[in-house]
Amino acid sequence: MTTTSDKIKSQVRWLGNGNEAVAQAVLHCCYDGEGYYPITPSSEVGEEVAKAIAAGKTDMKYVIGTSELAAIGICTGMALAGGRVVDVTSAQGLLLKYEELSTVSGLGLPMVLNLSTREINAPLNIKNGHSDLMTMLGTGWLIFMAPTVQAAYDMNIIALKVAEEVLLPAVVAYDGFHTSHANRRIQVFENTQDVQEFLGEKPIDRILSGKSKQCSVVDTKNPKTMGPYMNDDLMNTKVVMEQKMEHALNVVIPRVLKEFAEISGREYGLVQQYGDKNAATCMVALNTAGEAAKDAVDLLDRKDEKVNLVIPMLLRPWPENQISDAVGAAKKILVAERATQYGANNFMANELGAALQKKGNNAKIIQRTYGMGGLNFRLDDALYLYDLIKKWPNVEDENEKREKWYYGVWAGDPSYNPPVVVEPIKTEDCSINAKLERPNLKELSKMPNRIEKHAACPGCGIFANINLFLRGIDGQVILLFNTGCGMVTATGFPYTSFKVPYAHNLFHNASSTATGIVEMIDKFKKDNKVSDDITVICVSGDGGDDIGMDQVIAAALRNDPFIFMEYDNKGYMNTGAQMCYSGFKGQKNSNAHVGPNQQGKLTHHKDIIEILRGTYAPYLFQAAESQPIDMIRKARRAQQIVREGGFAFGKVFSTCPLNWGLEEARCPQAVAKVVDACLHPLYEIDHGKTTLNYNPEEKGKKIAVTEAFASMGAGFAHLAKPNFATLMEETQKHVDYRWERLKAMSGSTVL
Amino acid sequence: MSQDYRLPYKDDLGFCNIIFSAIGGEGANMAAKLLFKLGVEMFDLDGGYDAKYGSEKKGTPTDVSVRFCDYGTPVRSAGPTTQPHFLVAFREFLIRPLSLNRGLQANATVIVNSTKSPEEVRDILQLNSGTVICLDATDIAAKTHSRLNMPMMAMLCYELKFDPEKVKEKVAKQWPKVAQANLAAFDAAVAQSKRATFKDDGKYPLVSFTEHRDERIGYLNMPEGGAIDATRFSTIGKNNRLSGTGFFPKFEQASCITCGMCMTVCSDPGSLKWVDGKMTGIDENYCKGCMRCVAICPSHKKGKALQFPCPEAEALTTGKKV
Ligand SMILES: Cc1ncc(C[n+]2csc(CCOP(=O)(O)OP(=O)(O)O)c2C)c(N)n1
Ligand code: SF4
Ligand code: SF4
Ligand code: SF4
Repeated sequence: MTTTSDKIKSQVRWLGNGNEAVAQAVLHCCYDGEGYYPITPSSEVGEEVAKAIAAGKTDMKYVIGTSELAAIGICTGMALAGGRVVDVTSAQGLLLKYEELSTVSGLGLPMVLNLSTREINAPLNIKNGHSDLMTMLGTGWLIFMAPTVQAAYDMNIIALKVAEEVLLPAVVAYDGFHTSHANRRIQVFENTQDVQEFLGEKPIDRILSGKSKQCSVVDTKNPKTMGPYMNDDLMNTKVVMEQKMEHALNVVIPRVLKEFAEISGREYGLVQQYGDKNAATCMVALNTAGEAAKDAVDLLDRKDEKVNLVIPMLLRPWPENQISDAVGAAKKILVAERATQYGANNFMANELGAALQKKGNNAKIIQRTYGMGGLNFRLDDALYLYDLIKKWPNVEDENEKREKWYYGVWAGDPSYNPPVVVEPIKTEDCSINAKLERPNLKELSKMPNRIEKHAACPGCGIFANINLFLRGIDGQVILLFNTGCGMVTATGFPYTSFKVPYAHNLFHNASSTATGIVEMIDKFKKDNKVSDDITVICVSGDGGDDIGMDQVIAAALRNDPFIFMEYDNKGYMNTGAQMCYSGFKGQKNSNAHVGPNQQGKLTHHKDIIEILRGTYAPYLFQAAESQPIDMIRKARRAQQIVREGGFAFGKVFSTCPLNWGLEEARCPQAVAKVVDACLHPLYEIDHGKTTLNYNPEEKGKKIAVTEAFASMGAGFAHLAKPNFATLMEETQKHVDYRWERLKAMSGSTVL
Repeated sequence: MSQDYRLPYKDDLGFCNIIFSAIGGEGANMAAKLLFKLGVEMFDLDGGYDAKYGSEKKGTPTDVSVRFCDYGTPVRSAGPTTQPHFLVAFREFLIRPLSLNRGLQANATVIVNSTKSPEEVRDILQLNSGTVICLDATDIAAKTHSRLNMPMMAMLCYELKFDPEKVKEKVAKQWPKVAQANLAAFDAAVAQSKRATFKDDGKYPLVSFTEHRDERIGYLNMPEGGAIDATRFSTIGKNNRLSGTGFFPKFEQASCITCGMCMTVCSDPGSLKWVDGKMTGIDENYCKGCMRCVAICPSHKKGKALQFPCPEAEALTTGKKV
């Protein structure tokens, strides 16, 4: 709906997707800071902000954490200081933040979290679903829905204003991919000042001038203890929260929506009612499904069939009066949800039912769960459901007669059983290393591939490394992957590229999962239930060892008997080349750009082996495909350590031709150069003793870091250009320093 | 202004629907995004550009769609179109496996990168009715040092009756560094295309849209926890060519010294046929054509066993202009 008012502010036509629109709003809201961690499908929001930072278009603080929990912790710190703060995430990212959510609302800290919705479950899926969103219902956050790209922009401004006034955090939920990646033509404010004026003074100014009840730790004149320990009084904080919600619902939100309509011409209500309120059939749907259903309402109207449609725009506070009113005269209401509560009624259905009951309205509620895991919900789907409501329960299909059922599912063919194409790998077929004194490639060519025919990009280093490493591993193997490119390209239901047992748990906890498995193997062996000698190997990208670093360290500290192999491709490649702490300083990342205000990644590469040195784990190493025999030898040593009951960790350098912008056939050379530039030294720490396994200096092969960077593709090649000379001088010095330390340790009998 | 421009097709809701089918890394996304921008900026159109993103690696098939409508028509639905009036297929070999005739409207316009004749392509596509336009976009892109998306975009703009000069201006502005190459590709496309129009002659029925998926496993027979029986549902039995570059290294047995180096760098070592400790050739159902093995295979007095099969493969995988 649009209105005209004399307060309307100048706007411009803008093209972009939902994530970019959110990023526009973030920039227009002049936030003080953002804590960030990437996850599909919301990553782009942070990437766009990072671009603006590198370009000098904003002075907001932007910190990339090591996990979503870290990111929102950073946001909370910013908000405790009185900053205007924004965050963005999806799915597992939200769940990892979960512990912080009630803290932020409980502390009365305004903040906006953009949630590009995504399904959460195993098996992993990255597409749309509202299971993440539904976990927020009881967290004390205001929940605004954004069904369109335009609304994603608008709601960010509206939500922030409400949040800062009622002192509660707000989430803006827009559909992952369906909105986040949909390019649309929208209107955005031309002048940032207009948005500023609409929002009013920033929290820190309101706090310092005594205009807000909000507290800040930087207000040293009025010292406050924030987040005390509390016993019986806690009950009262719940009333405070309830009152904030009530005030938001009855006073603040309606007023802010009206004020927003005055400056934008775009009117939003607490709920959208579309179609005929007197119709006997009604559908309730959130976000893009609601939008698609509008087309169905129009088409049915052309055929003189009247139906009603209700799209809630606010989930918390829950505008129940407006919703009961909007369903009008409907006798049958289908509540379509991109979420489910197994074994119970669905979320919105419950809430609608309760609202109707209060009004004495006994309309029948039909529940359909649809579109989880990204299945599209289009015009045809809405038409089908309207038809279903009309007929229900007089339908032929037994399942469709149910009150609660799933739309868009298929039963499958139980007689379908394709033939065996892969025989399980036998232990005897992989005992080659035991018979060889030294690794011998000719002989090891006979080692069966434990994983093959995957869908990784041509030239990708991941499976080259994994297969090379596995040539040194005898016997039965269980592979556990963290989320990342390796995981995503080796399975895709119903097909797998693994021939050995494999499991994926989460992005960060393959190491803890491995601990659980090796403990059980040990127990089952003692109980004489399992006799195989099984080597458990975790595979993770370098990103998995940002977010999962604590768990890797813990496994090392416990000295749990499994191998952890990190393939280090210098970025979060699966999600689109975001920064990993292991990346090289100055490297281009999708969230660390090169521009007038920034030279790519801000810090030097994380050294995970040296971090782990302090755990005194029995075997730590670095290897590379450029020295294949060395890598196989290390694999053999790692397996020996594990068989003796210890923990082994290795990092291998891995190329990513796609995101580095490196031609595939140049990959082997790039690896060799990185090793020769001492950017990835080949060494091992065996029971605390360090040995350099390859010394490019001694071989007269040591090269400057810039020479290595020049060979690594567009993501690095800029570093060899003259305008990066100062940075490169620093990097060279730093790399040389690490190298000298390593040499000193390698020569020592105690280090 | 939209009054100067009339969309060539409109569905019940007022949309002209275009679907692009390509594989990741070919620039279909970029082309579709630019097309949407052109429509909005040049003709004041509205609509949407949607993509069905997965985790995009090189070689993953992508569905990208642009839907145009007159400004003022509500734009609501999300996700790629299911009722295309235009099909733009970047690779002819995608047509069959992806059944690209799904949802295609009567009298559709189909633009395919192919050296085959429009008649042959109609049969491959099983097109009910419409116009098939074939152009050798791969060749045009190579000769003009442009990318596949340029000739394909050019052809589509021509069919949409977007003023070619204005389009070229925008393309040059969007990618200034490669403007010349792109513009050359643009001109070549229309000049070299072949077309034929087919009536609904009863040869192929209209095919309504269905999702492209295997529904043999469903909630009745899904293994516990969505697990996969690795012995039966293995990628081993599948052709993996889509995820490759389309080239395969040339192997000469006589020059092989069995050093094993190819095996240590191969992107997917099953691609190398090692039999009893000897390298015997390349399995084209596996090989990704990355040429990592070619890069590492040593030259010695017996020659070099693994070589680039052709200059194009070398250019693609090394960046060298050959
Ligand atoms: C808790 C959580 N946060 C974020 C993600 C999204 N995510 C999946 S993989 C990935 C990056 C993986 O990077 P890395 O470990 O380096 O492996 P690569 O993709 O490079 O193979 C991210 C951020 C997730 N799945 N779970
Ligand atoms: S994006 Fe990079 S790391 Fe991921 S599969 Fe492709 S090449 Fe490998
Ligand atoms: S081109 Fe060579 S290295 Fe690449 S996948 Fe094929 S055989 Fe392996
Ligand atoms: S690298 Fe070349 S010479 Fe060595 S085994 Fe492979 S094909 Fe033969």
